[in-house]
Amino acid sequence: MTPSIDRRTLLGGALGGAAAFGLAACGAPTLSVPEQAATGTARRGATLRIARPAASAAEMLDPASSLSAYEYLGALYNRLVRLNREGETVPDLATDWSSNADATVWDFRLRSGVRFHDGKRLTARDVRYTFEHILDPDTASPQAGALSIVAGIDAVDETSVRFRLTTPNAEFPSLLTAYQCYVIPEDSADTIGHTGIGTGPFILESYTPAGAGAVRANDDYFDGRATLDRIEFYSIQDTSARVNALLSRQVDLLSQTNLDNPTARVVANSAGTTVARVTNAQWYTIPMLATSEEFADPRMRQAMKLAYDPPAIVSTALQGTGTAGWDNPVPPELAAHLDVQREYDPEKARSILKQIGREGFSTRIYTSAYEPNFTAIAVAFADQVKQAGIDLRITNVAADSYYTQVWMSEPLMVSYWFTGQPVDQLLNQIFRTGSSYNESAWSNPQFDQLLDAARADTNDITRRQKYQDAQQLVIDDGADLTPVFGDRLVGLSEDVVNYDEYGFEFDYLALGLKED
Amino acid sequence: MLRMISTRVATSVVTLFLAAFFVFFAVQALPGDVAEQLLGQNATEEAVATLREQLGLDTNVWVRFLEWLGNAVTGDFGTSLVSGASVSSTLWTAFSHSLLIAVPAIVVGITVSLLLGILAGARRGTGTDSGVSVLSLIAMSIPEFVVATLLVLALAIAIPVFPSVVLEGPDATFGDLLPAIVLPCITLVVAMGAYIIRAMRSSTIDGLATEYATTATLKGVPRRRVLWRHVAPSAVLPVLPVVSINVAWLLGGVVVVESVFNYPGLGKLMIDSVSTRDLPVLQAIAVLSAVVYVTVNLLADLLALAADPRQRTLHQPRRRRSTPTPVPQEDLR
Repeated sequence: MTPSIDRRTLLGGALGGAAAFGLAACGAPTLSVPEQAATGTARRGATLRIARPAASAAEMLDPASSLSAYEYLGALYNRLVRLNREGETVPDLATDWSSNADATVWDFRLRSGVRFHDGKRLTARDVRYTFEHILDPDTASPQAGALSIVAGIDAVDETSVRFRLTTPNAEFPSLLTAYQCYVIPEDSADTIGHTGIGTGPFILESYTPAGAGAVRANDDYFDGRATLDRIEFYSIQDTSARVNALLSRQVDLLSQTNLDNPTARVVANSAGTTVARVTNAQWYTIPMLATSEEFADPRMRQAMKLAYDPPAIVSTALQGTGTAGWDNPVPPELAAHLDVQREYDPEKARSILKQIGREGFSTRIYTSAYEPNFTAIAVAFADQVKQAGIDLRITNVAADSYYTQVWMSEPLMVSYWFTGQPVDQLLNQIFRTGSSYNESAWSNPQFDQLLDAARADTNDITRRQKYQDAQQLVIDDGADLTPVFGDRLVGLSEDVVNYDEYGFEFDYLALGLKED
Repeated sequence: MLRMISTRVATSVVTLFLAAFFVFFAVQALPGDVAEQLLGQNATEEAVATLREQLGLDTNVWVRFLEWLGNAVTGDFGTSLVSGASVSSTLWTAFSHSLLIAVPAIVVGITVSLLLGILAGARRGTGTDSGVSVLSLIAMSIPEFVVATLLVLALAIAIPVFPSVVLEGPDATFGDLLPAIVLPCITLVVAMGAYIIRAMRSSTIDGLATEYATTATLKGVPRRRVLWRHVAPSAVLPVLPVVSINVAWLLGGVVVVESVFNYPGLGKLMIDSVSTRDLPVLQAIAVLSAVVYVTVNLLADLLALAADPRQRTLHQPRRRRSTPTPVPQEDLR
């Protein structure tokens, strides 16, 4: 009679399961969801309700922290610079920037007349303070590692700020686009966690960690007033409860919720709700631990790549809602993306295995319910590599210990990242020797040298070439497979217009509710 | 009689002490200590050592157990490791929210189930009996999260009468929660009612077959009066333990149901503290659940003692040595 927590794992599938059950009888059609969210004129004075997963009660509004409540950040703050969809750095609080000849000193000029929500004027001192706060070891900011090349920051005058670097870096501005780099007022580290005072399009009204909160439009926003009047945020931990809240019209939008395919069908086919795609928002990886006995040999890794066809994984595991990755980690949207299709030849894979004496190679591939597509991808991948005689045993483990027990310790697993990172940070953080995010523990000195050379190269064209050479190395020798980029399926009300999300940021200015 | 009650109360206190003991040491036995859990994997040695000192983790485990127990008796469960708020206030808020769905569910659920059980038992073999029995068997076999999901589909999505989830979280006011308690209450009534109906039905059938019931019927007492005046009161006694287990289960916060409705009660607090490894909160919830179980069972025992004179004597050790003489049924009333 007493319920056990194990049952909870069933909850996620309960709703979608019921729908899939109904569809199974008539043969499930491929998932069809609208390519783009509705656009149109939004009504004035609307309040949008967003449901998000409940974070820990320790979450806060300090953007630098690893516990930041990220939906609020884009509404409350601005960064110096942002990333556009092509992966280029574009102005936000900084209007223009330049470096010295060897890219070791960077000057940013700030937009003038910008005010914080408390009325104080934005100055270069606030920017200096923001980055000193990120680099403060006590903050333990996830972006501190990437910014460790900063030797010093000077507030030259009211609107000029200068970064002095320890090593040349022609891509330095792109490192300031991370969502930890939102600008906060000077000396606010102790209070920013609950005041949320920024320069952004919305002003904080109320906030409870892991609970409800609200923001209202900032009438003085430098880029024009937002369409919405208010946004309310609610925390709902259980995924199916969050979907139910949308279906019963208690909320208008689900954030940080990639709907699994059966649930997406239910939401898309219910009256009043629909599904929007965020194209290639999820970067799925299959890290083969390069330090493991299984995958230390580059020929073994080559065989694993040759053995599978990425488009087959898109069509089976993702039901077409994504793009084949061909083991290149840089998403196709980015200007620096290297557009090559590596060889797919299971027979060649089989003969390589024979050469290295590993015919009929068998190991476990780990997966979990941590993300709804992990298991589908693991199954599709295992099915593909059978063509080369490789036998992968699917091993499903608990979601809450997946990234502490399995990640970076088991030889083969399914993992993912959000896209929306600049190419330099992506390659340096996840593929460079010794980086704490290098999930496959791959180490290639030639690759590391290429990245250093790219950073020191101030010529845009030759620098891009170096990043593309680096991608080629990942494809040829790398240990982290990129089978697919998946679209994020976001559940929202049919009343929501101009919804757009990229990487870690909503377009809060345009987002609105349809006119009646 | 008094001695028996004091023995029961003493047993309950010992049970509670043992529960507290096991809860505390089970948590101690978890891999990695609290300081490491809190700081995560990338913590430096010094940071862990400092925090360990702050939390008093470097003192003797028995001393800490006694301190914790001493504070717990006065209702002080320390502060949450995650939010830094007082555990007791968090706990009481969640418990009061759980009561808000548990009490109506208990009142409605028990009344309706007992009546249905008596009805089915009295009309054994008729269409009413089969109907009630089949329905309760179905209710028993469907897990409560499915019942909850079906109710949401029907009464929140298809016909939007009630909200499907509580949006406001732990800060929700009574007014916010009121419309939201209906669906969880129905779910809980369905989940627990079936067991009580089944038990009450069998008990009523047994009661109607006793000699005193037959005698009463033969003496010309109307059937309805035999049922309600003579059979039903004593037939409830064997059902009391079933009722008490269900009541305790409800008061302890129903994890799955609260999770489906995002209801900010004790069950949801437990899930959240498990996922954030908030050990002081977990310990407090475990102890509170133990208190609820023990208290409700104690009350059920005492109630049974008050209602049933047989239990007052049979359990006394000195009577056991002599050959027990069956109590004549006629003496009961």
